[in-house]
Amino acid sequence: MATKRRTFLQIPQGTESFYLEEAFRHRRIIAHLDSLFESWGYLPVYTPVFDFFDTYRTLMGDEAVETAYRLIDREGDLLLLRSDITLFLAKQMGLALKKSDLPVRVYYSDVILRHQNREDISRNEFFQSGVELIGKPGEEADLEVLALLARTIELLGLRAQIHLGSQALFGSCFSDLPEGTRRKLASAIAVRDAGSCRSFVEMWEPARAEYTVRLMMYIGGRDGLRTLAQESRRVGGFPERARTELTYLLRLAEVLTEIGMGDGFRLDLSEIGAQTYYTGIAFRAFVEGQDSAVASGGRYDELLANFGFAAPSVGFSLLLRKVEPMVDRPERFAQPEIVTVEGTTFTERLKAADALRKAGRIGRI
Amino acid sequence: MNAKRKRTEREPAPVPIALPKGRLLPTLLRYMESCGFRFDFEDRKLVAQDGEGVFNAFLVKNSDLPTYVNHGIAALGICGSDVIYESGHRFFTLLTFSFGRTTMCLAGKRELGDAADRRRMSVATKFTRFTQDHFHMRGIPVQIIKLDGSVELAPVLGLAPYIVDLVETGNTLKANDLTVIEKLKEIEVHLIANPSYYKLHYERIDWIVERLREKS
Repeated sequence: MATKRRTFLQIPQGTESFYLEEAFRHRRIIAHLDSLFESWGYLPVYTPVFDFFDTYRTLMGDEAVETAYRLIDREGDLLLLRSDITLFLAKQMGLALKKSDLPVRVYYSDVILRHQNREDISRNEFFQSGVELIGKPGEEADLEVLALLARTIELLGLRAQIHLGSQALFGSCFSDLPEGTRRKLASAIAVRDAGSCRSFVEMWEPARAEYTVRLMMYIGGRDGLRTLAQESRRVGGFPERARTELTYLLRLAEVLTEIGMGDGFRLDLSEIGAQTYYTGIAFRAFVEGQDSAVASGGRYDELLANFGFAAPSVGFSLLLRKVEPMVDRPERFAQPEIVTVEGTTFTERLKAADALRKAGRIGRI
Repeated sequence: MNAKRKRTEREPAPVPIALPKGRLLPTLLRYMESCGFRFDFEDRKLVAQDGEGVFNAFLVKNSDLPTYVNHGIAALGICGSDVIYESGHRFFTLLTFSFGRTTMCLAGKRELGDAADRRRMSVATKFTRFTQDHFHMRGIPVQIIKLDGSVELAPVLGLAPYIVDLVETGNTLKANDLTVIEKLKEIEVHLIANPSYYKLHYERIDWIVERLREKS
């Protein structure tokens, strides 16, 4: 019996269940987020739990493939369990939308499944809440999504910093590098390995290796980046398009400061997008006490075109289960006091409970 | 003796750093001291603070070090690229030290030929992830036998003809009548950081990196 019980109690790595007060808090937080997203004009969407793996394979990085759960259906097709809602959503939106529908604002809160190593006990990457603004290019859309992420963090009361970078800047700085070297360089930038970055760039662009690596390693405010951007004029062969992308990032930072959100953001040019489909801005949010980013997002202007519907888009997703224990004033999301009513018959108790409910309280029979 | 300093309210909290127990530790502690960070791990204690209160250091098993940094228990860690590779985690690599360099080698009995000629190999090693990836990338099928220590015994006792292991002087190999067949990768010692901790405290960590870089 004990052996049988032990077998039942085992759960596969990468899944999670939670109950009672914790589940209540989870749903309350989602309800607050839903209200926030709806107040910005976003509509809910649901995506399938699984889809054909081959549809997404070329759009997923190696790490995303490694952690994804795959299964074979009755016809022998290889299926992918939902591991990234943006990816599944892109296909659904590509199938469902018409040009005349654009721009479309959608939000979601749903379970994702990713393999989690035994030692990765604190990752908790099981649930994504987020928004996508589909069919709107440019500054206004980027700012809207960045501001909405800042408001989401504010609603939850998290002490977070959003690090804002750009895949477009990276792409335009190193467009002359061979694809393989560019991929290795992107990997080295992602782990801030300045030495390896320098050696990759020096092979192809020795004159500007020192400057471009310093640029990609930059983290800080607007002033520091403005100085660094001005320096680019003295760097021979620095691409004009990269200069435009730098000016664009500085412009976003300026507006974020104007609207009073500047303190929550840092310019971080090593943020070039964790997903392979990003094409413009890329950002991640970090919270004290968490071992990895709690939110990430960016612009992906070419992703939907893979599903036959080109629409420039931008969005973010929050790994909700990671931040739930860290919300400020958690009592906001806790179960209110429950009053157990008294009475000699069920009818009496039901009436007493209804009276309490009418007064906005919780009556339990 | 560096008794734990009392921190003033304005001083930032010490940065948790994981240091590896084992052969690297004496060199590492001497290096840290030369950069102004002196640690005394007294009475078999595994935790110590430096005199300036910059670090809260703890000693962990070499192979466990990446786990502590990955979970953010340690903000920083110092370990070899072999250990990082085996962990499968990705960290920020902030510094490469000049000490502790070694080489990952394929070794075996003297009469064995070049590994590239092999169509199938049987290899005993502690470094299973590295060995598998290395030979698979070269298109050589490999059977791996996991061992946790005294790997040199495997060819001697007939468990496997080859081993993949770190080689410094080659004396242990020689003593067991083994030889390096091929150098597979140079191993370096790095200062690594938990990405999230670094992003939130990059100014302080960059200051630490500059202090440690002076001598590296």
